[in-house]
Amino acid sequence: MTDNAQTTTEPPFWENLPGDLMMWVMIVSELLIFGAGLAVFLFLRLMDPAGFAEAQTYLHRTGAGIGTVVLVTSGWLAAVAAHSTDRIWRCRALLAGATLLGAVFMGIKGQEWADLFAQGISFETHVFFTFSFMLTGFHAAHVIAGMLLLAFVAIRPNPRSVEVGAAFWHMVDLVWILVFPVVYLL
Amino acid sequence: MTLTRAWATLIALSILSTAVAALGLEGRWLALIVLPLAWAKAQIILNRYLGLSQAPDIARGFAISLGLFMLVLIALAVIGTH
Repeated sequence: MTDNAQTTTEPPFWENLPGDLMMWVMIVSELLIFGAGLAVFLFLRLMDPAGFAEAQTYLHRTGAGIGTVVLVTSGWLAAVAAHSTDRIWRCRALLAGATLLGAVFMGIKGQEWADLFAQGISFETHVFFTFSFMLTGFHAAHVIAGMLLLAFVAIRPNPRSVEVGAAFWHMVDLVWILVFPVVYLL
Repeated sequence: MTLTRAWATLIALSILSTAVAALGLEGRWLALIVLPLAWAKAQIILNRYLGLSQAPDIARGFAISLGLFMLVLIALAVIGTH
């Protein structure tokens, strides 16, 4: 019997994913959670468009726009860091820059929340605020987690750890890119 | 697209979104501009920063899922404007 046929087994699709599989599982999970939150937010807006429009005027739209630029720039620094792991101090400096810009973003966000609370606005003021605090608060928790992760990775950077840290940070960036127009602009 | 060009594109699209809203555009036209801009930005982050451009089949799956999701958001936003 001749057996010229070679047994070829295609690798599972996830082996083609760039980076760590578990990080992708997390990225997809987070996107699904935030995606559901944004869809519910816009669905609730259908019930009370005027109330949502009025509530939105209390938010710091320009500050959020500046925060978007800050976070996008931070993501760029993290992306460049992931390509600079052969130069350890450059990589550390880039990760430190990304973390610092994360702190600037949190400062802008904190100022907005302080202003809202000072005006007596809380979760219970209107359903707009329930969801905007929930979406931006959950995102802010991820920003803090990402800053800790980037700082930790910067201590002893290696290609894999920097890639994982940067991927988490890009997920934070990606979520904000979707949250920003829905909550602040529409 | 280099990382720096991706960053510059993201910044330009972010400033454009904020400017369109700040200039007073409202309602469905605002939704029809800023949500596709967010869609484009999300695609850049997925493909360039998260590296999906290296895996075209997976990138296509993400692009279709994201596209469907963005269409839902755009529909809800357009219906919800007065």
